[in-house]
Amino acid sequence: MKVTYNWLKEFVDFDLSPEVLSELLTMLGLEVESMEHIGADLDDVIVALVEERAQHPNADKLSLCRVNNGKEIISVVCGAQNFKSGDKVALAQVGCTLPGDFKIKRSKIRGEESCGMLCSEKELALADESAGIMVLPADLPLGTPVFEALGIKDVLFEIGLTPNRADCLSVIGIAREIAAKLGKKVRYATHDIPETGAAITSIASVEILDPDLCPRYAARFVSGCTIAPSPQWLVNRLKAVGQRSINNVVDITNYVLMEYGHPLHAFDFRQLSGGKIIVKRAAEGEKFTTLDGQERALAATDLTIRDAGRAVALAGIMGGENSEIAADTADILLESAYFNPSAIRLTSKRLGIHTESSHRFERGADVQIVTTALDRAALLIAELAGGTIAKGTIDEFPAPQTEKRLTVRVSRVNSILGLHLDETTIAKIFTSLEFDVVSSGTGILEITVPSFRVDIEREIDLVEEVARLHGFENIPPTMPVAQVFSDRIPRYQILEREVKNYLAGAGFNEVINFSFASHNDISKLNFPAADKRSSAVALLNPLVDEHAVMRTTLLPALLQTAAKNFSLRNLNLRLFEMRRVYWVKPGQELPDEPLHVAGIMTGLRMSDAWNQPKDLVDFFDLKGVVESLTALFKIPELSFVAGGVEPYYHPGKAAAILCNGQLLGTLGEIHPDVQEAFEIEKPIFYFELDFATLVELSSATPLVTAPSRFPDTYRDIAMLLDADTPSAAVVDCIKAIRSDKTRAVEIFDLYTGDKIPAGQKSIAVRVRYGSFEKTLTDEEVSKVHQKIVNSLISEINIKVR
Amino acid sequence: MNEQLQQLKDLALSEIACVKSEEDLQALRVRFLGKKGELTAIMKGIGALSPEERPLIGQVVNSVRDSLEEGFTTASAVLKESLKAQKLTCEKIDVTLPGRRAAPKGTKHPVTLVIEEICDIFAGLGFMVAEGPEIELDYYNFEALNFPKDHPARDMQDTFFVQNNLLLRTHTSPVQIRTMLKQEPPVRIIAPGTVYRCDYDATHSPMFHQIEGLMVDKGVTFGDLKGILTIFTNQMFGSDIGVRLRPSFFPFTEPSAEVDIACVICRGKGCRVCKNTGWLEILGAGMVDPEVFRHVEYDSEAFSGFAFGMGIERVAMLKYGINDMRLLFENDVRFLSQF
Repeated sequence: MKVTYNWLKEFVDFDLSPEVLSELLTMLGLEVESMEHIGADLDDVIVALVEERAQHPNADKLSLCRVNNGKEIISVVCGAQNFKSGDKVALAQVGCTLPGDFKIKRSKIRGEESCGMLCSEKELALADESAGIMVLPADLPLGTPVFEALGIKDVLFEIGLTPNRADCLSVIGIAREIAAKLGKKVRYATHDIPETGAAITSIASVEILDPDLCPRYAARFVSGCTIAPSPQWLVNRLKAVGQRSINNVVDITNYVLMEYGHPLHAFDFRQLSGGKIIVKRAAEGEKFTTLDGQERALAATDLTIRDAGRAVALAGIMGGENSEIAADTADILLESAYFNPSAIRLTSKRLGIHTESSHRFERGADVQIVTTALDRAALLIAELAGGTIAKGTIDEFPAPQTEKRLTVRVSRVNSILGLHLDETTIAKIFTSLEFDVVSSGTGILEITVPSFRVDIEREIDLVEEVARLHGFENIPPTMPVAQVFSDRIPRYQILEREVKNYLAGAGFNEVINFSFASHNDISKLNFPAADKRSSAVALLNPLVDEHAVMRTTLLPALLQTAAKNFSLRNLNLRLFEMRRVYWVKPGQELPDEPLHVAGIMTGLRMSDAWNQPKDLVDFFDLKGVVESLTALFKIPELSFVAGGVEPYYHPGKAAAILCNGQLLGTLGEIHPDVQEAFEIEKPIFYFELDFATLVELSSATPLVTAPSRFPDTYRDIAMLLDADTPSAAVVDCIKAIRSDKTRAVEIFDLYTGDKIPAGQKSIAVRVRYGSFEKTLTDEEVSKVHQKIVNSLISEINIKVR
Repeated sequence: MNEQLQQLKDLALSEIACVKSEEDLQALRVRFLGKKGELTAIMKGIGALSPEERPLIGQVVNSVRDSLEEGFTTASAVLKESLKAQKLTCEKIDVTLPGRRAAPKGTKHPVTLVIEEICDIFAGLGFMVAEGPEIELDYYNFEALNFPKDHPARDMQDTFFVQNNLLLRTHTSPVQIRTMLKQEPPVRIIAPGTVYRCDYDATHSPMFHQIEGLMVDKGVTFGDLKGILTIFTNQMFGSDIGVRLRPSFFPFTEPSAEVDIACVICRGKGCRVCKNTGWLEILGAGMVDPEVFRHVEYDSEAFSGFAFGMGIERVAMLKYGINDMRLLFENDVRFLSQF
């Protein structure tokens, strides 16, 4: 909503600077989003007098003028022809900058000095086109800024209204708020209508056939109008609030719309067949051309204004081309009505037409202002277009609306706001807002809500009014008094943070990708059709195809993130993402949204530094990260199982991560085909874990065992075994020898290559022995150790090297 | 013989004084004191002496040996010291070379950092973290929050739909409803989460994050809302940062407020970031609307409450001086590494 400082002053007295007024409006809930000083930068364009206009000696089309700027006579060269000696003109002085960044400089034009420029309306951005320079009224004081002299200098406020405040979509509405806050009264005009001629009822008629959509329709008839351009003050006013001038009659309806917030429409009466107005829903599929020249197909829910035969306006939204004001229009039927907000919203949305009129009707116009706005417009038309107003008003108001009466408890106001206001203070606030108040000292106020406040329906709405007018800034901040809870932060919330902290500590950068994916991204991962991840939750209205569905795995986005970073020459990546994935859950109201944690590693293992080896990361770097993470969660007995893990992994370099048969997640090297599908040329290692399972498997730190007071000893076994035997089999076999003397097993060397027989590998393990009673003797250790070696030989067929 | 011994002593001590290395010193020791050394050689002559002379010469031999031993020990110590000093002068490293790090530093995402910070501040005020689904029913996202049926936000223009009544939540406020349906007052929750709206440009992302707060109890007032938000903004942005609440409108709160903080860039003087107003809008808040209480079957006469919500990205952008929201979701490691 745009409104100007001077326009507001027509309705309420205040002596606040524009800045203070802006602050006051904002603190009332009418947020001033911007403030513009109209004409303030054109103070150097002043009223000047053309003392003498003479022919330029060296140019036929130019004149050389002696211009009085109030202080001295200067010489100005001008190309316009529409002025004479003795005219007052707008002089742009040397040094000023006109709209369009046009700088005025002292110059010589065809050998004659020109100390400024005589301006046209266009050059001052007062009009789109102008024929010559601006000739000013003779009574303007010499030397004063033109905009000030013309009263154009003003301050424009752009107010971001909340949708509930339909009453403030007008100058008067905003003036009302200022008046309420300052304890002043709004100056409402009374319209003394000079009615002459026949009664309107003998000229025109109004019939409302759909009163549910049009509870009120009023009209006046003005004859003998002359359609002409609007006077400058009207053009300027409309221009200031962003409206283009059309002609005097249309401008008046727009002016009254801005002033009262009530949309009006003027019909060319000769186009209304039978002099009739019929308010009725359109026929389904009916064609109608609105005055913007667009042909619209109407629906049976659209309300139309019709004459005896056809639609002439789309009610409350836009008039029809067939009945708009034309240059030769003389007789006008002026409409002022009230339309049902939902109906207007529906039609406006369906047809995609949003107008100043529909904007107000759909938010709720003031049903009681209908005839006032009508009178104001009729009067202005009579004044500015020279028309004659017929006797009387048609006012069809089939079901006059009853006043809204509410009660508000003083105690309620204070208990919600944390204030201690008395009944009188609260009553005064409502009175200032033009609410009728009955205050009987009982602590309960009876309130009658004015018709323009369509947003006030409940006691809480009244509480808000008190808060607003009392001022949010005057409500003291307090600390609530509340019970102490016995709740503590749930374990999963603590663990979620632990995971992020751990991975960040392990050198991973956390990324956040959109939750969206494309069908194509998911299909690149080659899931079987039955896999839940291949059927994603689809959006009905995605912005782009790439965002068509909700992602079912974190992998595609992480691969895309990697590819993007590669292209930016970020080659060594450790990225993790801890976000939800979305799985269709048939038979369930909502899809599943499990929280997953996934990460990728690629590039150098260590920092790319002078003192670091240039080795690349491999499967075991990633596995180490996963192992450390699960160790942090104290997850016991983790096993990594190869084979048939996920279709997107390298078949020989991937594992499922299991704990007691429960799947925690997977890890592995990305399949070369998948890599290629995502346009990645380097090996990428990926893991994805289910956070809920991680939490479920996690355990608190168990009771600890005090270490033995005696030193442990180590024995190594170097062995040859079948290359396909997993190393875990060796460890498991050793662990299976349940001796109270074995402490730990560690694989400390692995060799495959041409120094050992083909199909075999060499593994070296170190077994740690110890006792709680004593330092073990060689003999005691050897006894157990031999048992282990024997078991390895018999169970998994090793050869000791 | 005595003379011989004296000569040996003088010779040995002078040679010891000239020795430059531990090896040479060792060689001298062998030469003079070894089993086949010069002192032993002289001592072989003792047998030829008279019994009276023998003890006297023996004493001289011992004293010469002691002198030599002492000479060797001292020389060895001096040599060691000088070697150490020499070594310490030679051994030098370039301490400006980068240290050895296993991997570059990892980071948490700024959105995570801000969520954690806000949750921590409210944890201190007794607010528990609550969560809810991102794919949400219309009822929780709109209906129960008192959005009228034809509210523009319920349009396909603004909201992503999965089905007719299933959508991507447009705010974290449905968590309020789910929480209140699950438990009786008192309620004190903070609900961070991912939300979605059909918007994509420099200042809008189709996916972003919000954090929602809700407190319901007996006698909770608008003043309490101001108090809590003042504490929060002071802890988040600094205790000298001004806060103001101004009237606004949300379907699910009344009275409703927009909460501004004094611009953290210009400290209220007016700059490009705050559009010369000196204020930055960071929060929406208000007293829970009785209509919302009706939906969750709370007695709005017995209980009152406040709710507030803010955009995490907005806070992160202010906190870290990020001027384009898209940076947050581009995941360029050069950006992420800075946190």
